[in-house]
Amino acid sequence: MVDVSSAVLTAEMIQASQAGLKAVGAGLAVGLAGIGTGLGEMGIGAAAMGATAENRDMFGLALLFTVIPETIVIFGLVVALLLLFS
Amino acid sequence: MLEPRTMSRLLIAGTKAEMGGVIAELYRRRLFHIEDFIGQEEYAGFRLGMPLAGATEASNELLKIRAATNAFGIHADGAPAPRRLSVTELRRSLQTELPEVDAQADELVTRRTRLETRQKDLESRIAELEPFASVPIPMDLYRGYDSLAVFAGHIPADVAITAPHEKQYSGGKKGGFLVVFTPIPDRDAVERQLLDAGFAAARIPDETGMPADVIARYQAEQASAEKELEGIGRQLAGLSELHASFLLAADELLSAEVEQAEAPLRFAVTDQTFVAEGWIPTADLADIRASLERITGGKIHVEELPVDFDHDAVPVEYNNPRFAHPSELLVDLMSRPRYGELDPTLLVSIVFPLFFGIILGDVGYGLVLLALSFGLRRYLMGEAGNQLLDTLRNSSVAAIIFGLIYSEFFGVELPWKPLIFSRHLGIGAAAEAGAHGPDAAAMLIVSIWIGILHITLGRVLSIVNHARMDHGSHRTKAILAQTGWLAFMWGILIVIWSMYAIPLMLDLSKLGDVVAPIGLRPAGIIGIVMILYGMVAIGQENTLDLFELPTVISHVLSYARLLAVGLSSVAIALVTNYIALDLIVRPQLAALSPVGVVLVIVGILVLLIGHVVNLALGLLGSGLNSLRLHYVEFFTKFYKGGGRKYNPFGMKRLYTSEE
Repeated sequence: MVDVSSAVLTAEMIQASQAGLKAVGAGLAVGLAGIGTGLGEMGIGAAAMGATAENRDMFGLALLFTVIPETIVIFGLVVALLLLFS
Repeated sequence: MLEPRTMSRLLIAGTKAEMGGVIAELYRRRLFHIEDFIGQEEYAGFRLGMPLAGATEASNELLKIRAATNAFGIHADGAPAPRRLSVTELRRSLQTELPEVDAQADELVTRRTRLETRQKDLESRIAELEPFASVPIPMDLYRGYDSLAVFAGHIPADVAITAPHEKQYSGGKKGGFLVVFTPIPDRDAVERQLLDAGFAAARIPDETGMPADVIARYQAEQASAEKELEGIGRQLAGLSELHASFLLAADELLSAEVEQAEAPLRFAVTDQTFVAEGWIPTADLADIRASLERITGGKIHVEELPVDFDHDAVPVEYNNPRFAHPSELLVDLMSRPRYGELDPTLLVSIVFPLFFGIILGDVGYGLVLLALSFGLRRYLMGEAGNQLLDTLRNSSVAAIIFGLIYSEFFGVELPWKPLIFSRHLGIGAAAEAGAHGPDAAAMLIVSIWIGILHITLGRVLSIVNHARMDHGSHRTKAILAQTGWLAFMWGILIVIWSMYAIPLMLDLSKLGDVVAPIGLRPAGIIGIVMILYGMVAIGQENTLDLFELPTVISHVLSYARLLAVGLSSVAIALVTNYIALDLIVRPQLAALSPVGVVLVIVGILVLLIGHVVNLALGLLGSGLNSLRLHYVEFFTKFYKGGGRKYNPFGMKRLYTSEE
């Protein structure tokens, strides 16, 4: 058994866990933002498809509405990239 | 440039004797956008015109042509014919060839329909007979009894019947097929027992002979019908090849004739005269007037009417230099500009490929897409297809240029260092060599700068739009609101700059000392004043717009996708290269073995699939995100759209020529 109270944290260990936590944070940022975007686009996408099926001229506008929540995942991606690389 | 073509409203009046000639000339020139006569007040005493003579005949012939075209399965692909048929030649062959072609098509289609019906009939007969094939009784013996009742049908399992009977059971995986013969007096008892056992009666087909023989006979007939159908299909295909050019040309000629003959239905007429109203590009006005006068020998009245831009729905035709023409597709996808509104096509044609290039930025992918934009031309015909491919061509050239700048070729570094920013992520060997990651922060700031400038441009265009299209106090308010949006955005920026020193941006954080009671530097105070002015200016036009204020920030930050989407694409390319080359191929090449050869092939496959998927994602990601930045972030600032498409009377001839 390792006695946790007497375990020594070396500088390398701290650095490694920092890098690891950064990676976890980056993954969470993209993943959770992706889920949010997906939830947002779910309803819009279905309605947009319906509208386009009824009137093809709606396509441009429908596309516009569908991609609006995409910004969220882009923010997640930017945060992840900044976490990893800056 | 930057605005649609100027239009004039034209009124053409003349005697009915001249109507045919005028219509033919207008049709040939393809410039006159007819405004339908709908019984307007100022036309009291006029009525709708009647079609010209010959409209019915032409329609009937057109119907025949279309029937034959359908029968032969000919599709117009929108590409001009290699050799166009002359109209005189075509008219002659319409007399001689059309009845024959029509009869051939008719005969073949009738035969095909008959055979197909027979096929379906045979199929259902075979399906009915199939269960009986397992019972060795000729079909004649199932009927014609006075004292016997017959049951035939499906049953889950064999059943023991207590009443006097004779039965045949054949089992199968999904239950069996049962045939029971029983004297009429016992019929009810047998039926009850059968139903209790889950019996489902089947129809007894009206056939003679052993069921297996009948099925075999039907199947033989089916096969011969199949063969005959194939023959008809071949004949139709042969005829289609033979007559396609004739039929398409005839369709075009007759459609043109019908359209011209029916044009009077859109005119206002009296017993002796006709009046046509419509739109024409102002530049062509004098020309059309002259040619109409020449055609009619001066017996025509052509007048330019005053235009009420607020109430008349002026049709809108783009007026762009040639290189901007493909982007009209992207603007039309959103909505055509209104008349008098700024037409953003030119800006889109420059900025869209630029954004695409910034995002994709890879020489390899750019080259593949460039090749695709030329290779697909054979399959994507028509104007929209060409516009799409031209846009793709321009975008891939931009991607190649940015690829050279970023020094990327399928994710691999080219022999030079990236000229501005590195997007190479330290993965695999590079990470071991201690390479530093991409310049994410710097690129992020540049992306934001692009966003700030793009949005500022949008707001400035909006001011121009409002100044040109609105009137009175509404115009002043709208322009003020736009300056408010600008002041709000730049005010926030100045406040941020006055507090933090951000690389590649203005540093106002050293300017002056913090003013104690407010806690801001002088620049920050200017920023706050701008923000407050902005809110007032926006609120005076529409208070509800104040709820939109946060979009200023989200729209600017949205341009971060220029960096983010691009970097994710680079990451996929790098990971593909790392897995395929570094992990699979290279270790095997070091010491080649038979298994190693297989692994090398697998590695190459992984490489190919990875890059194809990434290319598809990159094309979609770069294209859609670039488009989205235009639609959502840029157009919403100034563009309303909703203009009426200019649709001139006439036809672009693809298959026929006048001579």
